[in-house]
Amino acid sequence: MQFVIKRVVISAILLVATSVLIFAILRALPGDPVAARLGTAQGVNQAMIDRLRSSAGLDRPLVSQYFSWVAGMTHGNLGRSYFTDRQVSSMILSALGPTLELTVLGVALSVLVAVPAAMAAARRPRGWLDRSITAIASAGMAFPPFVAGILLIIVFSITVHWFPARGFIPLTQDPVQNLRSMILPSISLAAGAAPLILRYLRSELVTALNSDYVRTAAGKGAPERRVMLRHALPNAALPSLTMIGLITGYTLGGSVVVEYVFGFSGLGALSVQAAFRRDYAVLQSVVLLISALFILVSLTVDLLGWWLDPRTRGHRG
Amino acid sequence: MAESGTISVPTAARRRRVTLRIPPISVLLLLIIVLMCVFAPLVTPFGPNDVDPAHPFAAASGQHWLGTDELGRDLLTRLLYGGRLSLTVCAGSVVIAFLIGTIWGVSAAERRGFVEEILMRTADVTMAIPQILFALVCVAAFGASLLSLTVITGLLLAPTSARMARSVTIQETSLDYYSAGIAYGAGKIRLLTREVFPNILPALASQAVINAASAMILEASLSFVGLGVQPPQMSWGVLLQQGYGFLYNDPTYAVAPAVLILVTVFCLNLAANRLGSTRHRKVVRP
Repeated sequence: MQFVIKRVVISAILLVATSVLIFAILRALPGDPVAARLGTAQGVNQAMIDRLRSSAGLDRPLVSQYFSWVAGMTHGNLGRSYFTDRQVSSMILSALGPTLELTVLGVALSVLVAVPAAMAAARRPRGWLDRSITAIASAGMAFPPFVAGILLIIVFSITVHWFPARGFIPLTQDPVQNLRSMILPSISLAAGAAPLILRYLRSELVTALNSDYVRTAAGKGAPERRVMLRHALPNAALPSLTMIGLITGYTLGGSVVVEYVFGFSGLGALSVQAAFRRDYAVLQSVVLLISALFILVSLTVDLLGWWLDPRTRGHRG
Repeated sequence: MAESGTISVPTAARRRRVTLRIPPISVLLLLIIVLMCVFAPLVTPFGPNDVDPAHPFAAASGQHWLGTDELGRDLLTRLLYGGRLSLTVCAGSVVIAFLIGTIWGVSAAERRGFVEEILMRTADVTMAIPQILFALVCVAAFGASLLSLTVITGLLLAPTSARMARSVTIQETSLDYYSAGIAYGAGKIRLLTREVFPNILPALASQAVINAASAMILEASLSFVGLGVQPPQMSWGVLLQQGYGFLYNDPTYAVAPAVLILVTVFCLNLAANRLGSTRHRKVVRP
């Protein structure tokens, strides 16, 4: 239990530190987003700038700005966009769907590909199958998600018209079209993410397959399938769980540019747009939200590993 | 890129590795790419901005090896000139990450306790934000000039270097020669720079090559969404962005920079693996 409390506290501190860091960087230079917004517009006078500044709270001291941001967060009020004057929280809510779906599908696809491939590769280490799977994996790791996305569009949307190149159709509107539009983006994310799990799980499996308990199981006459699935895999998968957290971070980051490539209006696209407009109110909240998701997933995965492992459950950890 | 040279590490290491005479294919390929970009004017007869409005989107031919873009500019030429910026940002940020990361990690390993906690927890925090988003925040705050892009990428990669530097330094300083040095009364700074540093350099170099791959991807991503290198300046990311706009007219336009990024990242990964696999050899100390 001590372990759980410690992990939760560390995650909470990490989250607070992350918010301070994001806020500090965005306020580090004296640039003014309000002036940037009014920009070159005609007939702008100082009174207008001042009014906008005070409505966005930019005339208050930095510390008080930070705390009003955090205080607003606790009841879902993230302020208004400097640029469009829309509620940041509603902008985020409408952008959350595509990003979450993309991340979940990307991670799921990575796991679905990586686990069988790792099992196949680990059966005969250094055999031809192992070598080819490892080679494909290291090639896949060189694919930045957005580059993979562009190449996939060229092959599957332009050359053969199997999948749409752009656009997101909400799941609630048309599940089939939604899935079709999700296939290429998910593959582009999984291309780089799956090899990360695969390499780790493979080496864990090789260790597990060389252990005494696997020899005992095989010696008692358990079929190879059973040895692999019941004895080796659970022991190898446990330490690999951590990789899921890592993959989620990779996928969340990758989705920023992948959304741009495929024309999704998700959190990634929103953050790019906000960075363009120097719309700090939107940018700080979106980046913090994505970081919070990443921290939360890492925490969950760590706790899950702790709970699943009979050696640590109920003990320290 | 500086990394292709870091294969030759400290003298002790070089003496051991007599078998590695021919550089691996990945390093050779990287070398070819770098040299072609550096000596671009000698490789192609065109300038990067020589327009030929009569022949837009020309197919690959003997004259234009990769065809031309929407204004009839030679694509290969633009790739080579664009590579100069991509490689500059990449090399510059790797050097920054190396310097900051090494000092960061070594001082954390050296000053155990409170200072180490502060230094390494800072690294944890910066790594809790996905790199590309962190880069977006920094670009929004500090602008997207070539210099700021290089510094931002370098700072983003520094924590990974710092972690690596810390763990190898702790390993190294727990060895007998280090305590012997301390017992002899050698200064810590001297011990670290003269004795420890050469031994941890292979690990740091391997990390630097991995960083080079990340830097390449980061720069390309930022430039691709328009928050990195700004046109009319060009890098591979910018060219990919421009090609992306003409996907249906001329797929080669986007494929060429994409493949170039892929090959470079792939070779960097391979080179890093190679460096990494030789770094655990036992160091023979005189």
